[in-house]
Amino acid sequence: MSSLNTVVVISRDMVLTSIMDRILKDSYRVVDFSNMQSSLDYIYNSIPDMLIIDIGTDTDDFTVNIVNELKGDPIFGQLPVLAIFDDRFVIQDWDSLLVDDYLRKSCLEMELLTKVGLCMHRAERTIEVNPLTRLPGNIAIIKQIQKRLDAGDIFALAYADLDYFKPYNDRYGFSRGDEVLKMLGRLILNIVKGKQPHGSFVGHIGGDDFVFIMDSGYIEDASREILDNFNKIIPTFYDAEDRVRGFIESVDREGNKRTFPLIGISIGAVHNKIRKFSHYGEIAEVASEMKKYAKCTGGGCFRVDKRQHEFAH
Amino acid sequence: MDIQALRSQIEKIDTLPTIPSVLRKLLVVIENPGISLNEVGSFISNDPVLTSRVLKVVNSPVYGFPGRISSVSQALILLGLNVVKGMLLGVSVFEAMQKTMVGLWEHSLGCAITARIIAKKKDLKEPEEVSVAALLHDIGKVVLGLKFPDEYKKIMAEAETKDIFIFDAEKNYFGINHADAGAWIAQKWNFPYRLVEVIEYHHKPHLSKNVTMQTAIVHLSDILVRIKGFGFAGDNFVPAINNAAWQMLDLSEADLKDIIKEMEDSLSQAEDFLLSDE
Ligand SMILES: [Fe+2]
Ligand SMILES: [Fe+2]
Repeated sequence: MSSLNTVVVISRDMVLTSIMDRILKDSYRVVDFSNMQSSLDYIYNSIPDMLIIDIGTDTDDFTVNIVNELKGDPIFGQLPVLAIFDDRFVIQDWDSLLVDDYLRKSCLEMELLTKVGLCMHRAERTIEVNPLTRLPGNIAIIKQIQKRLDAGDIFALAYADLDYFKPYNDRYGFSRGDEVLKMLGRLILNIVKGKQPHGSFVGHIGGDDFVFIMDSGYIEDASREILDNFNKIIPTFYDAEDRVRGFIESVDREGNKRTFPLIGISIGAVHNKIRKFSHYGEIAEVASEMKKYAKCTGGGCFRVDKRQHEFAH
Repeated sequence: MDIQALRSQIEKIDTLPTIPSVLRKLLVVIENPGISLNEVGSFISNDPVLTSRVLKVVNSPVYGFPGRISSVSQALILLGLNVVKGMLLGVSVFEAMQKTMVGLWEHSLGCAITARIIAKKKDLKEPEEVSVAALLHDIGKVVLGLKFPDEYKKIMAEAETKDIFIFDAEKNYFGINHADAGAWIAQKWNFPYRLVEVIEYHHKPHLSKNVTMQTAIVHLSDILVRIKGFGFAGDNFVPAINNAAWQMLDLSEADLKDIIKEMEDSLSQAEDFLLSDE
């Protein structure tokens, strides 16, 4: 795997293409296409790090439509797109062209390299987030894990989710459930960052599923601290009578009335110190397996993978 | 001034100033790079203004769970050390009425300590929450003193010359007392209703509906701290204990003796905290 970031350049203008190639080739892997259509297969399959499109003066409908669709898709929306304009071109409406930045042809020599660097850096910083907790979302999580695996990093990955969250939602409604998720997001974030300020990561997959990554020496402590604090805080998210009783009444999946304990957390963790993983899916599977073992009644649970063998496919 | 206008004036308050000795210690705390969240927490828990500031932020809609958090340690964990430190950087001190305010600080801290002792005696599930409520019970005096310093000086003088309670003198002047003002600001800042109610009814504990025991405890703490002569609450009286609250508390003479004994030890430590100026 090449360590250079990939820039896709799309332009009909051969001269322009060769200028851009020359400017970028020492810092990036440049892949040229003469039009948008022919680039798509490549883009969809390998997700480059950046796209440069020569718009010139004509915002040819077809090209623009594809760019806009690409940016509208949550998976490709992250991909930074730089438009190249003719010097005298004036865009009427930015809604009709969903790009992240632009550059004029006469400025290429001076600005292209710097602009491309900034665009990539900005895209890296503005990752996709879960709208509820503002924590990095699914795509960012996968990217984060894969990046660490590719780099050969040793790390621990934990999956956390809530037990008895459904009856809580049934009893109090979704917006009260969202309050609990926002609280949990803050709790995990602050405990993880407090224990390991650098190199740790917290993400929100969605619903009541959260992920965090730390050096393996910290993960157990952090998990226990998350459990302890969650158990202390969660009673205040219940109405007074339920809090005093310590359980709620709701209906189960079969529609029978029954009582449920207060919400607890299950955390499952795995590290790659001994067992080796090469793909995101493998390590995620073991972590969520651990989380299932961790499921138990009330008060929350934590379980770390201690098996030593290689991941079996 | 009519009461609605007064209320909207008070609700405009965004932050309260603290007293100079707390600010000096605060700067030491903030500038210590190795300080832990627990240390910051126990420092904040000694100060009604810092506590109210932390609770205001954590209960703001920004974090998405308004009205839920009543404990300083929980607030700090949910906010994180950086947010807390940044927030503390903006704390200012009283320009006017410093001496009065120092007395009120001692009174508030004394009540927080006493309320925790009683809550433990009564086996309450959350002694910290009661202690926070006690720390904040007279926050309305801070609010009124900040917003109307000249008027409040007159009110205090009147309480002294006419030999009346400070809350009656307040009522004569504003048509409301500090318990109302405190409840308004606590509500505006999205504090949990359990705190708001204690603040509102600490002088009329029989009116509390949802947190009768907590309100009774804070009511008694207020009285005990005055009896001990710890701090200054704005007047020199010890109000009579409310009968309903006394029934509710159901303390034996031996219980009361234990409580007072424990108070004496803890209050002298608190005194050291307030007076020490390292
Ligand atoms: Fe009072
Ligand atoms: Fe008081």
